Amino acid sequence: MTALLEVQDLRVTFGGTAAVRGASLAVAKGETHCLVGESGCGKSVTSLAIMGLLARGGRREASALRFAGLEIGGLNEREMSRLRGDRMAMIFQEPMTSLNPAYTVGSQMTEVLRRHRGATRAQAVDRAAELLGRVGITAPGLRLGQFPHQLSGGLRQRVMIAMALMCDPELLIADEPTTALDVTVQAQILRLLAGLQRDLGLGILLITHDLGVVARIADRVSVMYAGEVVESAPTAELFGNPRHPYTRGLLACVPVPGKVKRGDPLGSIPGVVPRIPPGFRGCAFRDRCEYAHAECSGPIPRQQAGPGHEVLCTLALAA
Amino acid sequence: MTPAIEVRDLRRIFNVRQGLFAPPRQVRAVDGVSFAVPPGSVLGVVGESGCGKSTLARMILGLLPPTSGEVLVDGQRLSSMDRKARARLIQPVFQDPFSSLNPRRRVQDIVAMPLVAQGNIDRATVARRVAEALERVGLSAEQGGRFPSQLSGGQRQRVAIARALVLRPRIVICDEPTSALDVSVQAQILNLLDELRRDLGLTYLFISHNLAVVEHVASEVAVMYLGRIVERQESEALFHNPRHPYTQALLASVLTPEPGLGVPDVGLGDIMPDPANVPPGCRFHPRCPRVFAPCATQEPRPTTSAAGLVECHLEG
Ligand SMILES: Nc1ncnc2c1ncn2[C@@H]1O[C@H](COP(=O)(O)OP(=O)(O)O)[C@@H](O)[C@H]1O
Ligand SMILES: Nc1ncnc2c1ncn2[C@@H]1O[C@H](COP(=O)(O)OP(=O)(O)O)[C@@H](O)[C@H]1O
Ligand SMILES: [Mg+2]
Ligand SMILES: [Mg+2]
Repeated sequence: MTALLEVQDLRVTFGGTAAVRGASLAVAKGETHCLVGESGCGKSVTSLAIMGLLARGGRREASALRFAGLEIGGLNEREMSRLRGDRMAMIFQEPMTSLNPAYTVGSQMTEVLRRHRGATRAQAVDRAAELLGRVGITAPGLRLGQFPHQLSGGLRQRVMIAMALMCDPELLIADEPTTALDVTVQAQILRLLAGLQRDLGLGILLITHDLGVVARIADRVSVMYAGEVVESAPTAELFGNPRHPYTRGLLACVPVPGKVKRGDPLGSIPGVVPRIPPGFRGCAFRDRCEYAHAECSGPIPRQQAGPGHEVLCTLALAA
Repeated sequence: MTPAIEVRDLRRIFNVRQGLFAPPRQVRAVDGVSFAVPPGSVLGVVGESGCGKSTLARMILGLLPPTSGEVLVDGQRLSSMDRKARARLIQPVFQDPFSSLNPRRRVQDIVAMPLVAQGNIDRATVARRVAEALERVGLSAEQGGRFPSQLSGGQRQRVAIARALVLRPRIVICDEPTSALDVSVQAQILNLLDELRRDLGLTYLFISHNLAVVEHVASEVAVMYLGRIVERQESEALFHNPRHPYTQALLASVLTPEPGLGVPDVGLGDIMPDPANVPPGCRFHPRCPRVFAPCATQEPRPTTSAAGLVECHLEG
């Protein structure tokens, strides 16, 4: 399987903060790869760096950044903006990040297709209506004429997904797309994404902090901590055989009906994600890790824990 | 035993004007809610956003007058209690530890506020009680001297809890206390709340949109839909044997971290509830996967039994 997206040794710094510190990951065509971790771990910065959308002051380096075989690390802003919204698209937690309150849903959706594909207005309107239907919006004609603030949160998120699909992208990067939604609406949106992926062969990089979401829709999971991918594995393997103490800690924190008796304490991870200065050595999790020992301040090996299962840790943890 | 909290047919209507000449719309945020919470227990309240959970909480706290109905706290009418007495009995912990703390005050002064507001407590006592409250929630004296911006999200929520405890109330209303936090921090705060409840004999009303969290902390659960409680059961029973189709759909949409199960189709369609436009008959009927003849026209009556309460024609 050749990767649709391949990121090798991605590094991002903002002045004195190393936000991403050598992250590697790959997304195959038709695959959902989830990036999970606590807030501040560098998930959003990773996705923005891939899309060439880093905020001012962010510096990016990578030994490879390939999209569909094309090295995109060296593209200039004009070349990147030609790819964005066309062959690679992104959706955010807050739909208003991508929706302009001053324009109707219809004019924003059609603009994408007319800009990238030179479609006529009529063609673009047809396509927009078709996609609104595809994402489960009834009465698409009515919605096209409405402004974003006239829609509920769930509808806005659907509109944003439809807009991201206007040009038939090959890769969709979704940053916490359901975090602000009710669980009922979240289930609908995730089913929608899974269906679209199946039908269109989309590759999806989905960022979330919710391990429930990960378990239900990911093919592969990468756990991020303080700017590094500390564990990566196929989904069933990651949940069935987590190796990194951070992954295990995260899993123990999630309340699961029927798993922990009421009144018994949930597992928890003491402390918070640290801010990492450039030049930091060793394991960034060591101050919060119950297994930390002397070697954790030195270079940390990336170990193979099984087929497609990598762990960044000094311990050879038993299953 | 006198219930710690009792509400009787509580209602709150907001009149919302959309434009200068448009007629006001009536938002029925809480629409006839009754329940009693025994002392020492935890009533969990769940439901989608906009169903009236926070409005209910604000009325119980005395922060918002009801349109009709009554709130009794420890057997006393809330409306006949003065503010200071109320504050000694019942305290809030809100969702957002970022906006609920004054950024220009030090942690120790934030925690002291409810005590100082009582008026007649000397400074040495205030200092001692603040130190006690900080210690109880796991904050150091040094952290007491900091500003909220110098603390993490979880630490800020600990400050909010310390502030709620400093008057030694018997009842704490928690409105989404962990919704803005990471799971790792959420677990710490849930463990802390449970420990405090046991050590101090507190009663909680615990609001959350996360059913797994509610299952973990609540002894009884009330499910709200468009301003009404449509089901109330003892926690274990509700999670094992949900009776209302809405409760069933809510439970089905909880994504537990179990790979291979996929994302369920909860069958609610895409009509969203609007409290300014409550459907006739059963208010849930436009979304109900089990709708039948009477639902569109007749309002279901609550069926109460030893097992709890359900408001659904299927229980007729
Ligand atoms: N524009 C920025 N300027 C400076 N630091 C930033 C900026 N954006 C993100 N960071 C820092 O990068 C780190 C990772 O952030 P982010 O990728 O947003 O985390 P996540 O998405 O995992 O919650 C954080 O420490 C954050 O403070
Ligand atoms: N002060 C207010 N004025 C007008 N409408 C309000 C006000 N407070 C809440 N509402 C409306 O009442 C309904 C219930 O809100 P709320 O109690 O905040 O729900 P929840 O906490 O369950 O999300 C919503 O439709 C909300 O918009
Ligand atoms: Mg983020
Ligand atoms: Mg609320």
